[in-house]
Amino acid sequence: MKAKNTILIAAQVYKTVFKNRSTWVLFVLMLIMVVYAGVTSWQYYQTQQTTIVAYQQKARESWESNPDKHPHRMAHYGSFAFRPKHPLSFFDMGIENYTGNTVFLEAHKQNTVNFSEAGFSSGILRFGEISLALIVQLLFPLLLFFLGFGLVAAERENGTLNVLVSQGAGWKEILLGKSLGLYAVMLSFLVPVLITLAILLSRTNNTNNDAALAGRTALMVLLYVLYLWILSMITVCISAISRTSRQSLLRLIGVWLLLLVLLPRGLQSLGALLYPAPSKLAFEAAIEEDIVKQGDSHNPDDPHYKHLKDSVLKVHSVDSVQQLPFNYSGFVMREGEKISAIIYSQHQNRLWEVYQKQNKVAAWSAFVNPFMAVRNLSMSLAGSDFSTYTDFQQQAEKYRYELAQHMNELQMEYISNKKPGPDDQPYTISSKHWQETPDFVYRNRELSTVLGEEKLGIAAIIFWLIILALLVQLLSKKLKVV
Amino acid sequence: MFYLLLKQFIRAKSTVTALIILLLAGIISMATGTQQLKKQKDNIARIAVLQQEHIQRNVKYHNTELGSLMYYVRFALVNEPDPLNALSVGQRDVNSSVQNINIRNLEAQRYDTDLTNPSALHAGNLDLGFVLIYLFPLVIIAFVYNLLSEEKEVGALKLWLVQSQKPIRYLQIKLCIRMMAVYMVLLILLITGFFWLGLSLNERFMAFCAVAILYLLFWFAISYWVVSWKKNSNINALALLSIWVMLTIVIPASLNNYINSRYALPEAQEVALKQRDGYHQKWDIDKAITMRGFYKHYPQFEKFGVPERKAFSWLWYYAMQQMGDDDASAASTELYNKLWKRNAVTKTLAAFVPGLHTQQAMNDLSRSGLQNQLLFLDSTARFHEKMRLYFYPKIFSSQPVNDENWSVFKVNYFVETTKTVWSWLLLPILVFIAVIYLATVFNFKRAPLNNSL
Repeated sequence: MKAKNTILIAAQVYKTVFKNRSTWVLFVLMLIMVVYAGVTSWQYYQTQQTTIVAYQQKARESWESNPDKHPHRMAHYGSFAFRPKHPLSFFDMGIENYTGNTVFLEAHKQNTVNFSEAGFSSGILRFGEISLALIVQLLFPLLLFFLGFGLVAAERENGTLNVLVSQGAGWKEILLGKSLGLYAVMLSFLVPVLITLAILLSRTNNTNNDAALAGRTALMVLLYVLYLWILSMITVCISAISRTSRQSLLRLIGVWLLLLVLLPRGLQSLGALLYPAPSKLAFEAAIEEDIVKQGDSHNPDDPHYKHLKDSVLKVHSVDSVQQLPFNYSGFVMREGEKISAIIYSQHQNRLWEVYQKQNKVAAWSAFVNPFMAVRNLSMSLAGSDFSTYTDFQQQAEKYRYELAQHMNELQMEYISNKKPGPDDQPYTISSKHWQETPDFVYRNRELSTVLGEEKLGIAAIIFWLIILALLVQLLSKKLKVV
Repeated sequence: MFYLLLKQFIRAKSTVTALIILLLAGIISMATGTQQLKKQKDNIARIAVLQQEHIQRNVKYHNTELGSLMYYVRFALVNEPDPLNALSVGQRDVNSSVQNINIRNLEAQRYDTDLTNPSALHAGNLDLGFVLIYLFPLVIIAFVYNLLSEEKEVGALKLWLVQSQKPIRYLQIKLCIRMMAVYMVLLILLITGFFWLGLSLNERFMAFCAVAILYLLFWFAISYWVVSWKKNSNINALALLSIWVMLTIVIPASLNNYINSRYALPEAQEVALKQRDGYHQKWDIDKAITMRGFYKHYPQFEKFGVPERKAFSWLWYYAMQQMGDDDASAASTELYNKLWKRNAVTKTLAAFVPGLHTQQAMNDLSRSGLQNQLLFLDSTARFHEKMRLYFYPKIFSSQPVNDENWSVFKVNYFVETTKTVWSWLLLPILVFIAVIYLATVFNFKRAPLNNSL
């Protein structure tokens, strides 16, 4: 193989494509779309993020402004966790708009994460939301197919391929050269996307770690650079095995529809069919049943709590709960909270496992559908994927649990065991405890964790790079000029 | 001539494949739709049983004070799914069909979300709506894009021109044959759906069919218009696919960004915060202040007076809960106004985007759009108020728990009764079709087929 020939062919492709007026029309159209998508999704990110930050602060202020009161009242007063967006989520919204962003955290109860954009949508959301990722993931392939369908097939049709080969160009050089040329064209299209991304990122108020963000962004760019290479190779290979340019075009359109439109939706539906998830009603009923089995702190005759009481009295060698050195009802609530939280987490984890299994059906298709690998990796890097969402829920639940238990412990420590009489002031503790309790702060996941979870997608990308290199080898031996 | 052209069309392997794929996709889509509907129905059937169990269990545990019992007891309001839902799932997979509420603070309860896999919502449903809006147009494009160019490319057009005075007739017959084939598939699907899902031949089903027929006609019109440019097959295919991508992906997705930004909803968080603070902070202030607010809202209960300063009273407790709702009500009203605005703006914009219009029409007809959800939430508020007003006087006058006949509290149902507005459903697409058709006729008049060789 002669590298010089390859580069010559590539340069030829690049020049021809950009000599065509319609390429420039497409380029300008794409530019408009990129700017619109970038700016609107970034503005949306800014508005949402500002709202989230402002309300987290407001919620905190009203928490701290509470006067002296009984800690259990504060446990019910509760707190909020608002889900912040990852700065890269404006680039790829992933499942962001299908997940809630506000959860009320109180004692005894795990509330749902509310206010998803999907729940407030007129249905238009189901057509998708335009973002830079959507343009590169979905529209770039189409563009690539439009520009590249005839690269080999059309030359075969008008006989110029014959000339090329007789002049001493090998098949490998033709395939690689054409792919490289097309790739260079697509990289030129990618440049405005990257510039838009860079400008918008630099204007984002970022509370995150800058190094981590830079790492994620760099990997994101790498991902899309590889994606375009894979697509360029696929296009040229399909063009090479097609008799006519029309056949090549139809095949490529078919590939686009099947891989990018039909398979993701179809396989997700299949996943739901294979691994049915419980309804909310069934989910809640199962938790309640387990809790009752373990011990119901609200039921005065419950054997678990009777037993607990007897053993506590014995350990402290007293014969009534009033004589205990700590507040007994705080103690019982701490026990109840522990039991219900453990049971809830078990069920929640099981539910997430079911969802993950459903999602895995589509994720595995990455080995036949490179788009799937890119889609999932991109979402993960942008912090808008399923795992990031469950991670938020876990952090919120952890905070809720610690808050509730902290209030129970304050009650055990500072509230008297003697019931106040009808004329006594209700028991309270100092409001300084409220200020001392830390606020909820969502921590972004480490990049290494994210990559660890996306091994499947990374493997699929590597797989595709190898397979396509092998395919070029194979084709260059089998292809005919006519 | 007709039979010859029909034979030619049917003999092509790709024709049969495309039609079978369409038919299969339609059947699969109805199966998934039915599945989705069944899930909702099972859930509803279950809640009907559970509700009585739940009430009886709580009545047994908390039988000393009605106020204490009503802290726990929840009543279900069901947004009865329409059978048409199996054809168009709409927003019913996001929004719960059941509201299970107690008489405490409403704003703390009615936005609670259903349990769903967000990745599944993101991927979207494979319902008949999807098959109609995305897949049918693609098959139409595949059938029509080379209607003329194919004849030119194989040299048959010359024969037409020699044989006939009106060569355009061939083109029209070819188009008609393709329309018959596609509409045959649609007809089979709709009839299958009709019997399979046990639909009734009501106005909404007819409207659903009419919208589907018109939407497909729109795509035939667009495709035929592109044919009238008399360009070669590749250009036609590229142009039609670009139109398809613009109309079903790029434009709706861009409008979505516009609507979400234009009608951002910080009120949602405001409601959440206000209802909490409005209620909880009342624990720390003089009971008389809370009661004054409560009696301003419900003067009819003023006779129950202001409870003693120190003791706990259920009257005071529910008055505090009520204050949570009252404090959040301004934000809540604003949230609703904006949601109705989102609904209205989407429909206005949809008049210019046939795929979006078809989706909105189908969602409304199958009672699964935002409109249905908002009406359901309104109905939830009315239902909650009704239960409140029923129990408030009983709680305040300390009526014994066992005086109430608890077995009468069955699940309540909400059924949307919005009228079908035919003009809104059909006019936008009809106008589109008319304009495109005129443009096509003009193209053929200006440059007849004879000139296109």
